Parts: sequence; structure tokens; C-alpha cells
Amino acid sequence: MNWIDWAVLIASVVFIVGYGLWKSRGSDSVSNYLLAGKTMPWYAMALSIMATQASAITFISTTGQAYVDGMRFVQIYFGLPIAMILICATAVPLFHRSGVYTAYEYLERRFDAKTRALVSGIFLIQRGLAVGIALSAPAIVLKVILGWPDHWTTLFMGVVVVGYTTLGGIQAVTWTDFQQMLIMFAGLIVALGTAIWLLPSDIGLGGALHLAGAAGRLNPVVTSFDWNDRYNIWNGLIGGLFLSLAYFGTDQSQVQRYLTGKSIAASRISLLFNAIAKVPMQFFILATGAVVFVFYTFTAPPILFDNAALKKIQQTQSYTQLQAKYDAAFTVRAKAARAYVSAQDEASLTAYRTAHKEFEAAKKEGSDLAATVTGKSFNDTNYIFLTFVMQYLPVGVVGLIMASIFAAAMSTISAEINSLATVTVIDVYQRHIRRNATDQHYLTVSKIATLFWGAYAVVTALFSSGLGSLIEAVNMIGSLFYGGLLGVFVLAFFTKRVNGTAAFIAVLAGEAAIFWAAKYTDISFLWYNVIGCVVVVLVGVLLSYTPVGSQQEPSSVSVF
Amino acid sequence: MNDIDPPPFLGTWRNVYAAVVIYLVLLILGFWIFKVTFSP
Repeated sequence: MNWIDWAVLIASVVFIVGYGLWKSRGSDSVSNYLLAGKTMPWYAMALSIMATQASAITFISTTGQAYVDGMRFVQIYFGLPIAMILICATAVPLFHRSGVYTAYEYLERRFDAKTRALVSGIFLIQRGLAVGIALSAPAIVLKVILGWPDHWTTLFMGVVVVGYTTLGGIQAVTWTDFQQMLIMFAGLIVALGTAIWLLPSDIGLGGALHLAGAAGRLNPVVTSFDWNDRYNIWNGLIGGLFLSLAYFGTDQSQVQRYLTGKSIAASRISLLFNAIAKVPMQFFILATGAVVFVFYTFTAPPILFDNAALKKIQQTQSYTQLQAKYDAAFTVRAKAARAYVSAQDEASLTAYRTAHKEFEAAKKEGSDLAATVTGKSFNDTNYIFLTFVMQYLPVGVVGLIMASIFAAAMSTISAEINSLATVTVIDVYQRHIRRNATDQHYLTVSKIATLFWGAYAVVTALFSSGLGSLIEAVNMIGSLFYGGLLGVFVLAFFTKRVNGTAAFIAVLAGEAAIFWAAKYTDISFLWYNVIGCVVVVLVGVLLSYTPVGSQQEPSSVSVF
Repeated sequence: MNDIDPPPFLGTWRNVYAAVVIYLVLLILGFWIFKVTFSP
């Protein structure tokens, strides 16, 4: 990277962290440290919620996803606005009125201590597994593209994030998230604008959209239904609704953002801002990937975007012949693309699609060769966008994109560390270890817990950096728990008869159903949330009609 | 702190929620028009 890019990156990080720490001064009580004294304005919560969800790998991969598979990925967010409305109408007032620090604290008021312990334990396992990966994933990608030592990148990001999260608590997290999201917005707009600017002058944006559409890259709405394919409108609306309900309604890393609001109205507005802004934001990220796809229709892309794998296949005997075939296929496709843009008739469309298919086949031969040489499945989607950024974007813009990626990583990690520490202190330490200590004692323990989870994140990130397949496994494990969490909150909010024992058994039954579906069916993971939630609710309600699962007195902390 | 604070616009929370649903429908419709316009 050029020194100007380094300056942009370092200045962004220093400014964001400095601003966050300055805004968090006065976090001298547990309430201030964990809930910002319930003083946060809606706009800070809104961008913090958005920044927490947008991790670095989401930022990097989503553009690559559009490059290889088109824009249909956006449909996964179609259920999000509906979920936000349901959460605003139910969870937000209930959590606010209860005066809780964590979502799981509410479960003890509604059910009992064992249900709270089970659900907070599930959260700690799930988020604990994810936090190290969130830290290591961008470092692995930056190592492949830029050659940066991943251990040093992990350590740098880890130390910075742990530093401001421990010192400033949730106020530092929220205000840094706010700035980080602004940096991400700026990076996205500049990346899309520059990608369009780099298109050949005879193609332009209109021609680029027609080419991307002809290659199946402009498909943000797919109406055909398939249980096994997560990217269609039905899976997006139903599966995406349940995923968003679970994530924003039951995951402490999100619930804690809107618990800091000064009023129920402020928390609701922050969530509804996300309901409005999230889908278009993902659309524009994917559109950037589609434009990059068209850019690489006229500028030869490498046969593999993963530099390490590319070097390995270059040492094989078949590489020279394969590269020649790939180059020839690229030239034919570029010529066919130009012909299609100028003619836009059936014949030129067929010729372009045939040439594109042959180019894709040559590319696949390269990927297959890489899989054979490396001995594991090969996918270089995560490296496409950064390769484009490093090779073609102007000086200064590269630094801004890098700052965006660091911002995305740090905003997610800080929120995860902060929420893990909160659950550890409120749901474990204060509930089971020391119940009646002073506020100053719990504040000190909160800082120690933050430091502990930060150190844990860094250490697991350092050890997981060489285990690519483990990352996929951990992401998969994370999706196995949300259905159970959502189900128990539905029971808590909408039933009065179900007691703690019924809820506890129902969560275990829901988790068993999800694990069964994951092991014995090919159903898309989006449906795990639906299956888990439905099983928890059914089992809980059925048990409430037995002596073991029925509440002595109807609950007074439910919605109805 | 209470949940009957009115929203800063559209009068009631019910109206705000309805506006978000309408927005989502229009957004999906816009995406579909975008797709059919550029995908032959």
C-alpha cells in the first residue's frame, strides 16, 4: 500500500478510537458502563446496530458473492423489516419496562433461574465461538491479498478493540460503531463510484447493467421456491424473518444496543432505521460486486484470486495450457460482450452467453486444479473484491476501503466482547457467584470480564487462523442455536400458562429438532430457526397443559 | 419512560409500522422491475 493509504487507514482508526473514548468519559457506574445510563440518542443506536451486524467478512464476501452468483443474496434480508416491526411492538417495551441489563435476565422474571442459565449459557457458547472467528477472518484475507502477517493484523485489531471496549464500555462501543458505520458508508459509495468510473467508456453504466443481467448477475428477486436454496424470495421473507427475529430480538450483542436508548421511542426508531436502510445497503454492496464483474469482463482477471493457490497451480505441468485456454476464453467473451452491448439482439445475446459459459468452464478448471493441488475444496470468492481494490483503485481510495474493512471488523468484535462481558457479569457472576456487592465492585468485574473476553478472542483468533474449514464449521454451529433462543422468548412474551420447567424442556427439544434437521436433511440453514422456534413453542404450550409445565399464577410480564 | 410516546412522524406507531411494510413491498417491486429491465 502507498503511504497515503496507510495515512488514511491509521488516521481513521486513531480518530474513531479517540472520538469513542472521548464520548465515553464518565462511565463510572455499572449502568453507564453496560447501558450508557440509558442516554443514547436514536441515531447512535441505529448505526451501532447496523455496524455490529456488518462484519469485515460480510463486507468483503458480499461483493464477491455478487461477482460469482449475482444479487439474489439480498433476499435473505427481506424478512428483516418485518422482524424489526415485531420486535419494536413486543421486545422493546418489555425489555425497557423490565429495567434489565440482558435479555436473559428477563427470562428469570418470566420463567425461572434455570431457564435463564440455560439460555445465557447457549449465548456464551455461541458468541464465544464466533468472536475469535470475527477477528481472524479479515486477517486471513488480508494476508492472502496483501501479504500482511495475519498474526500481527489480529494482534493489532485485537489490542485496539479490547483497549477501547474495556476503557469506555458500551458508550465507547456505540460511538465508535457510529463513526465506523459512517466510514463504511463512505467506503461503499466510493468503491461503487470508482468501479463505475473504471468501466470502459464505450460500455458505460447502462451497458454494464445489461451485461450483468445477461450473465445472470442482476437477480435480486427469485420467485421460484426451493427448500434447499436459501436465496429466493420465500426463504428470504420467512426464513429471513425468523433469523432476524432471533438475531435482533434475542442475541445480547444486538439487544444491548437498543437497551441503551433514552426511551422506548428512541429504541424503536433506531430499529426502524435499520428496517429502512439495511436492504438498500446490501443491494448497493451487491451492485458493486456486479459492476466489478463487468469490469473484469474487459480487464483480464487472474484465473484464481487467491494468490497462494495461484502460485501453487503455477508450478503444475498443466498450468501453461490451462492459462492459455483461460486467456483465449476471456478474449472471446470480451468481444462477445461488446457486440451484445452495441447490438442487443438475440444472436449477440446467445453468443455472449455461450462465451461466458466457456470462460466460466475454464475458470472452474483452475479452481478444480487448485483443489487437487491443495487437497481441499477451493473457493476464492472472499478475495475478488480486495484484489480489485488493490490492483485498480486509486491511491487514497485504497486506504479508505481498508479503513472500512477494519471498521467493519472492529465494530462487530467490540459489540460481541461487550455483550459477552455483560452476560458473564449480570447472568453468571451477579446471579450465581456474588449477589449483593457494591456498584464499584461490579464495575471492576465488568472491566475484568471485558478484558477476559477480549484476550479470549485474540487467542482463539491466533489459533484458528490456519483452520479454514473450522471457520465454516463454527459459522454453521452458530446458526444451530438461534431457533431455540427465539422459541423461548416467544413463549415468554406470548404465553401466560407456560412455566420455567416447560420452557427449559422446550428449549432442549427445539435444539434437538434443529440438530436432527442439520444432520439428516438438506434444508437450508435459514429454516433451522423456523423449525427450532416452532418446536419450542409447541412443546412448551403442550407441557403447559400438564401438571409439570403449568404456571401456578398467570405471568404478569408477558405481552398478553 | 413509557411505550405510549408517539413517534416523531406519522402520528401513531401503527401508521409507522404500516409505512415500513408498504416501503418493503415497494422496494421488492422496484428490485423486480430492475431485474426484468436488465435481464433479457
